Amino acid sequence: MKPVVLMVGADKGGVGKTTVSRTVLDYLKAKNTPVRAFDAEHPRGTLQRFHPDVTEIVDVTTASDQMRMIDTLSTSEIKVSLIDIRAGLLAETLDTLTEVGFFDLVNAGEFNFGLMHVVGSSVASLDEIAEVLPFMKGQHYFIVKNFINDTSFFEWNPAIYKNYFRGNNTAVEVTIPKLNEMAYEQVEISGIPFSDFVANRQTNGQAGNNSLVLRGYVRTWMRNITDEYDRVGLLDRLYDRTAAAA
Amino acid sequence: MTVSAFSTASTIEPPPRPDPADPFETPNDAARRSFAAIVASLHGRTGKTLFARVLADYFLLSGHRPLVFDTDFTEQTLRASFPYDTVVADLSETRDQMMLFDTIAARSPEARVVDVSHYVFRKFFKVMQDCDFVSEARARGVEPVIFYIADRNADAYEEGRLLRERFADCALVLVENVFLGALKERTLRSAGYRAFESHDLCMMLPLLDPAVADAVQDSDISLSDMISQPLSRSDDASSGALTFEQRAEMRSWLMKVFRDIHRVTRAAESRAPQIVPVDSLI
Repeated sequence: MKPVVLMVGADKGGVGKTTVSRTVLDYLKAKNTPVRAFDAEHPRGTLQRFHPDVTEIVDVTTASDQMRMIDTLSTSEIKVSLIDIRAGLLAETLDTLTEVGFFDLVNAGEFNFGLMHVVGSSVASLDEIAEVLPFMKGQHYFIVKNFINDTSFFEWNPAIYKNYFRGNNTAVEVTIPKLNEMAYEQVEISGIPFSDFVANRQTNGQAGNNSLVLRGYVRTWMRNITDEYDRVGLLDRLYDRTAAAA
Repeated sequence: MTVSAFSTASTIEPPPRPDPADPFETPNDAARRSFAAIVASLHGRTGKTLFARVLADYFLLSGHRPLVFDTDFTEQTLRASFPYDTVVADLSETRDQMMLFDTIAARSPEARVVDVSHYVFRKFFKVMQDCDFVSEARARGVEPVIFYIADRNADAYEEGRLLRERFADCALVLVENVFLGALKERTLRSAGYRAFESHDLCMMLPLLDPAVADAVQDSDISLSDMISQPLSRSDDASSGALTFEQRAEMRSWLMKVFRDIHRVTRAAESRAPQIVPVDSLI
């Protein structure tokens, strides 16, 4: 199996990018797919707080950390690498990756590459997409609409939206549904993966004391996300399985 | 037992946990399961609230002080003047959903009775399913039993059938209220009704003189007092609107219903999976 790099990014902060990364880590775990994660929110590391066992904090602007991520791709036993890009640095990071020849390797078939682009509800997000599209020719490009905070995407004019995707038919739209606010908040406070919250575990692996109603909300929400990732064939696409071509 | 703390919407809080010296908490009790009776019907005016009250009194008389939840936030028909704790929950609030489901699934010797208003029927069972209530409760020694009161319409049986399918691992008692009259021809032919023909957990609410039923519903007469205190002609003054004969009728009606409740709860208990203490869930 080829190494897979899945990048999660957004040009704007506050669109729930790290939340999406967390759902992907839980999804991969449920699919028995080992993954290593790089949290580029250097030096803070939100993703690392929730998934400390698989996450390293990196600074994508430094050569040493680029090497830590890219040079280890083919040697690492763990084939899937998720990179949570710092908000606002998506286009810049793609530039840097081009510079270091990452996309040449992808095009040569050394790795598979996918981008989950978490977009906001404003028209500015469409410009963001336009900025990223040139990098994504022939790559797996997932546009993630995150409704977790009840965002409505009414500002998007369908005609303009369609126009952006002319010539790039690999773009896939992914929808993250809304999660009950109290449930979301409780997981935030607990600082644990969504899957642990559902299983009523604490950080130390001990039994938790979380409300079964809140756990129920998270469980249902995760089930919907799993269905959504299955629907768009997230893993199949990244693995270049035949289903992805359809 | 004072209940005023739970009688208003603004003071909704989880009820106090039984203290360790609770007289109900004997070693035997700890190993026994307690019941969470969920009383529901698809439509209004089915006798659901009266039945919920009878259930609460049944548990009271059998030594398991019940905790009663009223989900009719606007009408609050199960009044706070009953001899057991009544908590009103507004299911449109996440906080109240937590208070209700977390409390009824908690390990405690108290019986719990939930009066599910037909206004929140779908919401209640959705949350109940989403939070995997049946297995969560069972892991804490609480056995849920759904008492579903079917009215005379075909859709009520159909909804009951769906409920039984949805909560296949939970006992569902079909309650038929004779007071509602004969079944419609259309209902008898419906698939929903036929699905219950071989249902084995059924009970009947026998006919009760409407005047007695009204008097009981409108007053705060304690049903359990009626059973536990001897019937006497001399206490007319303290028993509100009911005459001696009416009290006698009410008493015999209650005895019949209690016997049926006893029969179905024992049946539900005997078929429930064995209690396996799951320490990680405590």
